[in-house]
Amino acid sequence: MLYRLSFIPILIFIAILFFLYSGLNKDPTLIPSPLIGKPMPEFSSPTLFDDNEITNQDLIGEIYILNVWGSWCYACSLEHNHLIDIYSRGTIKIYGLNYKDDKNSAINWLKERGNPYKKNIFDNNGNTAINLGVYGAPETFLINEKGIIIHKYVGPIDENYYNDVILPIINNE
Amino acid sequence: MINEIGNIFLSISATLSLCMFAVIFFKKSLATNIRFTFCKYFSISISILITLSFLILAYAFLTDDFSLRYVANNSNIDLENVYKFSAVWGAHEGSILLWVLVMSIWCSLIILLSKNMPKTIIIDMISVMGLLLLFFLVFILFSSNPFDRVFPVPLNGRDLNPLLQDPGLIIHPPMLYIGYVGTSVPFVFAISVLINGSIKLEWIAWLRKWVIASWMFLTIGISLGSWWAYHELGWGGWWFWDPVENASFMPWLAITALLHSLIVSEKRGIFINWSILLSILTFSLSLLGTFLVRSGILVSVHAFANDPERGLYILLFLTLIIGSSLTLYFLKSNILIFHKQYSVSSKEFALLLNNLFLTITTFAILLGTLYPLISSSLDLGKISVGAPYFNFIFSALMLPIVFLMSPAIYSSWKKTNYKSLTKKLVFVLFYSLILTYIILNIFFETDVFVVFLAMFLAIFTIFSSLLKIYQVSKTNKGMIIKKILNIPSSSFSNLFSHIGIGILIIGITISNYYSVQKEIIMQKNSEIIIKNISIKFVGVQNKLSKNYSSQVGIFDAYSDNNYFVSFFPEKRTYNIQKNIMTEAAIDSSLFRDIYVALGENVSEDSWVVRIYYKPYIQFLWYGVGLMILGGLFGIFGRRKIEKKLANAI
Repeated sequence: MLYRLSFIPILIFIAILFFLYSGLNKDPTLIPSPLIGKPMPEFSSPTLFDDNEITNQDLIGEIYILNVWGSWCYACSLEHNHLIDIYSRGTIKIYGLNYKDDKNSAINWLKERGNPYKKNIFDNNGNTAINLGVYGAPETFLINEKGIIIHKYVGPIDENYYNDVILPIINNE
Repeated sequence: MINEIGNIFLSISATLSLCMFAVIFFKKSLATNIRFTFCKYFSISISILITLSFLILAYAFLTDDFSLRYVANNSNIDLENVYKFSAVWGAHEGSILLWVLVMSIWCSLIILLSKNMPKTIIIDMISVMGLLLLFFLVFILFSSNPFDRVFPVPLNGRDLNPLLQDPGLIIHPPMLYIGYVGTSVPFVFAISVLINGSIKLEWIAWLRKWVIASWMFLTIGISLGSWWAYHELGWGGWWFWDPVENASFMPWLAITALLHSLIVSEKRGIFINWSILLSILTFSLSLLGTFLVRSGILVSVHAFANDPERGLYILLFLTLIIGSSLTLYFLKSNILIFHKQYSVSSKEFALLLNNLFLTITTFAILLGTLYPLISSSLDLGKISVGAPYFNFIFSALMLPIVFLMSPAIYSSWKKTNYKSLTKKLVFVLFYSLILTYIILNIFFETDVFVVFLAMFLAIFTIFSSLLKIYQVSKTNKGMIIKKILNIPSSSFSNLFSHIGIGILIIGITISNYYSVQKEIIMQKNSEIIIKNISIKFVGVQNKLSKNYSSQVGIFDAYSDNNYFVSFFPEKRTYNIQKNIMTEAAIDSSLFRDIYVALGENVSEDSWVVRIYYKPYIQFLWYGVGLMILGGLFGIFGRRKIEKKLANAI
């Protein structure tokens, strides 16, 4: 009786192994946002370089990438060159959401490293980011021409991610 | 040059570990004494070599040798020397090195402190240790080498993660690892016993000491982690059911169960089979924890260091070690079954229930921790299991465990006289109920049922433990002091750890239910009143330190218009990584903590300020302290059994 029961730990272990193995190749940063399929939340903020207001209405009309960043964010500095590469291909416009940042250091940051963004929403109190459900920087959203959020990624993106994930979505739209 | 020596030492240790493992195959061709001597010198040399390469790495940190990638990524010229040293285990490569260092030392200690154990058992234990060491050393050498060079050599390093620049984090990882790796001792014991096919009760007495030691270090490690979170994270919380915390808590629960089942095995010769399985499970959970933390499959959304290759190696290792030991258990465990009768009213039965509930709790936490993985691989969507699940399941399962402590203390082996057991229990229950009622009404003016229940359980446990020790001392002869001195240390061990649990429960319950917290915007010179204490915001000053600049808030606290203390919470910005860290200011006294954290600067003179009043939170640390004291009594006070063991051989 007990002899047969002693097989149970092995079974449990095999089950756990299966889940661990399948989890190994999945990226824990792929968290589906409840906002996917929903319209971009309304906002109205100054832009980074001048104080003109920018609202969600201004962005509607073509597909674009919204990248959440901050000059305080180390991972954003790793991501930045990749964004510039994506920008230089010219297939898609990138808007920035400058999140909880100091205006001057954000402007200097872009002057030093180059500016891949068409425009930057200056969200220093984080209100727009809260509506977007931002966990932290960097985060990247893809928004279609009707202003609907169609994709979200947490963490820095690079060319591979752009080629393998974002481009196919753009081409499907 | 010196770094290459460190690297070579690690390679030699790996080779020696292989040799040490090979000793297991020479059972027939070599005499036991020769094999034992081989094991002894192998393990001591491995310990020395790994210690040396660890010191070489520490030296590289202290001398800012940024030609090592690991140093360049985790240190900085301006880092304080203490943190340069603790940065050695501040990231992946170094913490695995610390892991093997600790393991090699445990290994040498086993062989040096095994005088009264049969050599064949020890040799097999050490050989299996050799295999474990080999795996980790190969892992270090091929995928996590801290001695890897970087070219061109950076002028300055990227700095240690500011979260880790805290005194609590200097000793937390070593303590935790000593505990973690300590669980390998019962594991290799179990394997050795299964291979040799025999077990003696004296050996279990010897093993228990090791198990208590590793339980104690795990307890210290986990509580230091909590203490750090409480001080450093600025949320006033101390336990978050984070996967990394769970990874250390699961082995703790399992080893607590093992501790209790070994008592039964040693005293009565039963549950041996179960103890062996638990030993394997405890170490498996430690390995699983390492895998979860190191592979990055479950880490929080902000960790960008996901490395599937490392994960795959640890997973293969896990499969091999755990898979083969469970198979060995399946094949050989039937020879270890001893049947003996015991009744429902016996101590055996109470401890059986204790083990049952602890095991269920461990699995419930394992399930919650792995659930995101399970649901995503079955395509049920990405779900994270939060604190509410763990809080509910944990308190629901802890309730019976704590409640059972007192009956277990009063019951005897084999069969307890129902009449005297009920008499004692009813007596203690009755007075505990009254005491709880009085305490809650006078001090807390509360009638929340959950609080009442938890407080009652705590008082019940403390009261019955104290009464038990009184009864034990009463049977001793002589003066009061002699009576106390003659109490066996195992009773003290039991007393302190159980009272510790009671105190811990009081701390958790009261601080959870009666904390007052305020998160407000305060203007300069304004005041806020929290629990009869008025706190005045004096202002904010800038402070420059070597590797960070900070804004220091100044708060004066008044009780009945009398100034009694000032708070200086900080918001630090670290120069290199630009992270902003909160350093909360805490005023602790026996019955309450006042906790002030500085939030964001809203406008010129106004700041977001978080103030917590946390009653009885200190009881957490007192409770843990008592548990550790209990552990010390368990380790150092078991002379009688040692003598028995010596006579048996």
